[in-house]
Order: sequence, then structure tokens, then C-alpha cells
Amino acid sequence: MTDLAWLTVAEGAALLRAKKLSPLEWTRALLDRIAAIDGHYNAFVTVTADKALAQAKTAEAEIATGQWRGPMHGVPYAAKDIFDIEGMATTCHSKIRQNHRAASDAFVIRKLNDAGAVLLGKAALHEFATGGPAFDLPWPPARNPWDRNRHPGGSSSGSGAALAAGLAPAALGTDTGGSVRNPATCCGIVGLKPTYGAISLNGVFPLTHSLDHVGPMTRTVEDNAIFFHAIAGHDPDDATSTARAAGDCLKDLKTGIKGLRIGLIEHFYIEDAAADPEQVSAIAAATDVLRRLGADVKTIRLSPLPLWTDCNRTIHAAEAYAIHEHDIQTRPEDFSLLTRNRILPGAFVSAAKYIKAQQLRAALSREFAEATRDLDAVITLSSLWLPCRIDDPAAVAKTYDQQCRLVFNVTGSPAISVPTGRSKDGLPLAMQIAGHAFGEPVIFRIAQAYCEAANTCIGADAATQPPILEAARTAAE
Amino acid sequence: MSDTANVPETTRLLAEQAGLAKALKLFPDGVKAAAERGLRPVGDPPKGHVPTASPAPVFNPAAFEQKK
Repeated sequence: MTDLAWLTVAEGAALLRAKKLSPLEWTRALLDRIAAIDGHYNAFVTVTADKALAQAKTAEAEIATGQWRGPMHGVPYAAKDIFDIEGMATTCHSKIRQNHRAASDAFVIRKLNDAGAVLLGKAALHEFATGGPAFDLPWPPARNPWDRNRHPGGSSSGSGAALAAGLAPAALGTDTGGSVRNPATCCGIVGLKPTYGAISLNGVFPLTHSLDHVGPMTRTVEDNAIFFHAIAGHDPDDATSTARAAGDCLKDLKTGIKGLRIGLIEHFYIEDAAADPEQVSAIAAATDVLRRLGADVKTIRLSPLPLWTDCNRTIHAAEAYAIHEHDIQTRPEDFSLLTRNRILPGAFVSAAKYIKAQQLRAALSREFAEATRDLDAVITLSSLWLPCRIDDPAAVAKTYDQQCRLVFNVTGSPAISVPTGRSKDGLPLAMQIAGHAFGEPVIFRIAQAYCEAANTCIGADAATQPPILEAARTAAE
Repeated sequence: MSDTANVPETTRLLAEQAGLAKALKLFPDGVKAAAERGLRPVGDPPKGHVPTASPAPVFNPAAFEQKK
């Protein structure tokens, strides 16, 4: 059997169902590993060991008597500490929320409870899902398992770090301008921002009301599709939740991509902004792989990247400020510097500017729809630069927001970040595959075909795993 | 922390009007930079696209009458 730290959801579910693995055994192994090595990565704000063991015990009893609930039954996961869990603080990694207590579970937590999944704990994030890696908060920032001196991306930073460090096989994140896909990119894992409305936001502390998405994070594409199905679905209590059911992402997952038409949005990182040559080379190589697999890849053009950024950031600033106005007025010193700097501009965004940004959003979404009418999906870079040192604020300021992810928060269309290899320094490289609204089945299919052919995902083979600190590895063993 | 003397008068007035007197006192440079970013106009839509859309999500009065 694969080392339990690196077991995938799909492998684990099969073993659990066949009673060759106990949910308690898997959960205990991961809790022990978290206790042994998470001090190096700070992936978790809170570890819910007692709850996890109780849920695992229930799952074990149910599976033993043939009451298998589905592929997440008995499977451990982590949740970004922005999801409400009854009786626990939803800290949002903020001093301001330290004493909060949630009255009920978030919709997706309820879905995972119903699916029999096992919550390991609440993962670190950038404060209120914005800003960046901060050292002026009650909890330290999560670190990148590929090099703990580098940031792991964010804002779902702990979720990404937990997956790459082998601390959980699945994690929940949220994504407003790329917060699932950034840690996926930086940590070499797989992260999906689904179609807007496909997953309920109920019980998730908001960053913005019209750009927020909940997204599944895993180490493999197949796991991501499994996890997506477990949490997607209509929620009548969420006005943004769509009644349209998600398409089946598993049925055709492994049927290949022969004949699919894919647009390559190259100008974002060739003309509109500078990018690390290794990121650019990696997506060029990935394009070759997709062509070799039978896809028809052609270059397309959209509006320049800065216009998309302007649109997203204006909406972000205005909506986030509306949420935090009282606290930023009365206790601005309790926010981290990076979060405060991200929220304050919203105080100066006029109603007219906000409405123009929403109008721009509609125009850009229409442009995207027209440019992709004859295509099945598009690909482009995720991060333009590699993760820099976490303790270098100048480098963070210069590189952190240089990205192509927020484009798909503007359009609301699904986008997945998949690893495209490693840099010469051993850091993960990645690209995005994006599609039409409710086009998750197609982008999962492309992601699966690519990752299988290129062998870029973290797996049981040690060569695909991050160089977990020797001391940490010894402690875990 | 730096001096509010570096903050333009218009920014100071706007910040105070927005209830940010405390932030202005503690973080004048942050407020100054925020005003510059917030007041900058948003970009024009791509050519050929007329900006007539409503803000999203579109208000739907019928949604309030739906049974749960």
C-alpha cells in the first residue's frame, strides 16, 4: 500500500470500501504526521483531532456494516479557516475573529459530513483571504513545502501547503482573484475554481460577494473531480447558488482529448506582462503535449491583462470594503499591513466607478464568450513568477499579484491550475485550463490527459514529492 | 508610522469623511496610497462593447418569493 501520507482520495476510497484500510488508521497516520511536521509548514490553524477520530470511527462502523456513502466516506480533508464549523471559531486567520464562534456548519461542510468525510482541521490562509503572507498576525503564515523559505501562494495557503506536505489528500479553498489556484500553482497541486454559483458560499466568510468561489484542492485531477462532486450542488439559502447541476466530471475523465479545440491565451504573458522564462517554457512544452494527445491548439486574443486586473481589483476593493468598513474605521491596527492595504482603497471607490467595473465585467465576459465560441477550453499561465522568499516584502510586492487567474473570476467560468513541471530550483510550475460556464467535465478531461501524459502531479513516487525536511521526515517516521 | 503632513489635503478630507480618521493618524502613507488607487478611474470596455449591463448578480425580485 502507498504511504498513507501520499494516498490519493481515489486510492483511499477504493481501499476503504474494500475494507483493506480503516478510516481510523488513515486519519491517525495523518494526525501523527501533522503533529510531527506541521511546525515547519504552519498549514493548520487548528487541528480537530478529537472530531476527526470520532468521524473516522463512525465511518469505520458504517463501512463495516455495508453502509458505504460514496467516495468521500472516511476520507480525511482540511478546510480553510474561512468555512463555518459549528462551535468553532472561523478566524479567517485574523486577530479580529479570534473569539468568533460559528452557530452552524457551512453548506459544504454539511455536504461533506453527509458524505462521511473526516475533518482533520482548519487550514491557514491570508487574513480574510486577501493581502499576502503576513508575520503580524496571531498565527504564522503557511510555508511552501517545496522550499519553506518561499511563500506557498494564497490566500488558501494552508490548504496548498497541507496537500503538498502530505498532511491531507483533499482541502477546501476559496478563490476571489485566484486564491485556490495560486497555492495550487506554488505548491504543485491541483486546484479548481468552479463556475460561479456551482458551489454554495453559505457559511463562508465573504471577501467579495460577486467574485467569491469555493474550490476543491487535491494532489491529482481525478481526486479534484471526486471532491468537486462531493461539494457542488444547489443551496436554496444562497442567492448566488445555481439550480443547474454540475455535469458528470468522472464519466469521461479518462477518455482523452483527441479532437478537442483549445485556445492558447499567450499575449497575457508574452506582451501584456513580463513572466519568468521557466513558466513560459513550461506552458509551451505543455502545449506540445496537448497537441501530441490530439488536441487542436490555436492562439486567441482577449483584452489586455491589465484591463482584467483593473476590473477585478475595483470590484474586489469596493465589495471587500463594504464588509470590513466598521473594523477598518475603528480598529485598523488589528489588520495585517498587507490586508489593510488591500481593503483601504475601497473607501475611495465611488459608486459610479464600482458600477462601471461591473459593466466592464459584463463586456469582458461577453468578449470571452465570443472569443471561445468555437473552442472547448483555453489555457494560459497561472502565476507569472515563481514563489519568492516569504520574508522578502519587496519581492512579494513585486511578484505576488502578477497573475492571469483573476480573468476567470471576472467571467465566472471554471478554471483549474495543474502542475507543468519544476523549475531548475525545484519549484513547481503551472498552467491554467479554463472553460465555458459549467464546462468542468471538459477542463477536468484535459487536465487529466495532460497530467497523466506529463506525469507532473505529486504521487507515491518520492521523485514527485517535495523535499520534506529531513528532520521532519525522520520525525514523521 | 509616518507623518500626516505628507498627505494631500483632499485625501485627508476624503479619508475623514469616510470615517478613516484613526487609520489616517496611524497609517497616513497607507491611506494616501489607498486613495490614489481607489480614485483612479477604471479602464474602458473593449471596443464594440456598449456598457449597458447591470451590476451582477442581477436583482431578481421573484427570487424572494420562491419556496424553500
